[in-house]
Amino acid sequence: MPTPFHELIDLASQLIIPSPSDAAYLDPGSGSFILQILLATLLGSLFLVKSFWRKIVVFFQKLFSKSSDDQGQ
Amino acid sequence: MKPNQKKPSDINHIGASFRDPNGFLFIQEGRIYRQVNQSYREEYDFMMRSGLYNRLVDARLLLPHQEVPITPPQPDLAYKIIQPEKINFISYPYEWSFSQIKDAALLTLHTQKLSLEAGMSLKDASAYNIQFIHAKPIFIDTLSFERYQEGKPWDAYKQFCQHFLAPLTLASWRDVRLSELLRNHIDGIPLDLASVLLPWSSRFSLPIVLHIHLHAASQKRFAGRKVEYSGKFSRQAMFGLVDSLEDAVRKLTWKPKDTQWGEYYDETNYTPEGMAHKEKLVDEFIQIIQPRSLWDLGANTGRFSRLASQRGVPTIAFDLDPAAVEMAYLECKKDVSSNLLPLLMDLTNPSPSLGWNNRERMSLVARGPVDAILALALIHHLTISNNVPLEHLAKFLVGLGKWLLIEFASKEDSQVQRLLAVRKDIFSGYTKEKFEEIFSKSYDILRCDQIRDSQRWLYLMQRTEK
Repeated sequence: MPTPFHELIDLASQLIIPSPSDAAYLDPGSGSFILQILLATLLGSLFLVKSFWRKIVVFFQKLFSKSSDDQGQ
Repeated sequence: MKPNQKKPSDINHIGASFRDPNGFLFIQEGRIYRQVNQSYREEYDFMMRSGLYNRLVDARLLLPHQEVPITPPQPDLAYKIIQPEKINFISYPYEWSFSQIKDAALLTLHTQKLSLEAGMSLKDASAYNIQFIHAKPIFIDTLSFERYQEGKPWDAYKQFCQHFLAPLTLASWRDVRLSELLRNHIDGIPLDLASVLLPWSSRFSLPIVLHIHLHAASQKRFAGRKVEYSGKFSRQAMFGLVDSLEDAVRKLTWKPKDTQWGEYYDETNYTPEGMAHKEKLVDEFIQIIQPRSLWDLGANTGRFSRLASQRGVPTIAFDLDPAAVEMAYLECKKDVSSNLLPLLMDLTNPSPSLGWNNRERMSLVARGPVDAILALALIHHLTISNNVPLEHLAKFLVGLGKWLLIEFASKEDSQVQRLLAVRKDIFSGYTKEKFEEIFSKSYDILRCDQIRDSQRWLYLMQRTEK
């Protein structure tokens, strides 16, 4: 049974070796929905890392601004 | 039929408002209202009670409305009638500059984030849900909000990519004029088209790979396949998706350069005194007529439009050059109280009526008339470069507004000579005398002043009332 990872690899391969263009009518939503599901783990993880990184940056910004304030006084 | 129920033919529906079964816009006694249907009752009440409405309205992200006690046009379906705040001029995405599309995209994503925080989600992400009030975008569709269902992907993802990401990516990576494809593709630029038009190097950008190339491939691969999504798309993934799209949009840039008129004011043959005199005359004419609204046709970066907008006149500055409109918009953004809206418009091929029954999107002419028209350094381009006879021009302008401030440049003018240098002069009727004779048939000429140090004249005209 193909896993989301296999589906994604299969899909990504089409970017490197594009299949010939045809004039088939594109389904209005299935592909967009499935892509979101395939990307869910990636997008969720990136967001988590980014949010965590922001917190670290804010923590150090506060720490340094506090220490520079202390020095100023 | 109940006595107070109007026949469907009596209801003045707005042509663009028919897709959503949860309500529709209609016009009654010159005012725009929205019927909210019973089918949207729970979503509407949730939005109003959850604090989302107030949060969005207070931040001027959503157009405010009032619930009004008028008889619904379709009482059997109606839950409430609301009256949205009035918008002076409706513009469309194919008339926006790069930064206008970008700001509208970021507003949509910001609205989605705030909605998710309040337990709601946007059910669509159409660029037509955004309007510009002066230089600030605002979300106008009150019925676009639905309660968020955890596990479900974003319904509006595809529409967001087609309406916003594709035109911005094409403009940024390939050519700014490609955003005009929005005029042909009323539901946004198809992603397979965007994918083939983008350069190969765009495949090294992760957001573009994910949201354009992979998205297009996925649409093709999974077309027609049944989607089972229950529980597979977490809340964190939804925030991740919106964040990724926001990141993609923010990274897209376009700098105005190398376009036809970008340096027009600098290159033109006005002396500093001549330019100052022209500004003084335009300002004086605007003070005389005190228009309630003004369209500046061929506005370039809006230098003269601002003479009207700074006096509180709601002004639209149209130009065909994406660089000029971009610069005008960026200038407007510095002053949000500005009454100026710059828009892209090719007057030789102005926006037509588009969409279903030709009634979804209004033509430029259908959005008029206005009180006053400003047409500076314009007619020689239309007449000589585009062969538009002066009679046709007068007929076009007289339908747009009561007042006309227009500049005529004679054949001795260096700019006109430049236009004539590359073609045979077949314009024997292009003279000041002939111009006055033709325009006198439709207008009373109230003033005619020669601009200092130039072969140009500025006219103030009033439409002849018959």
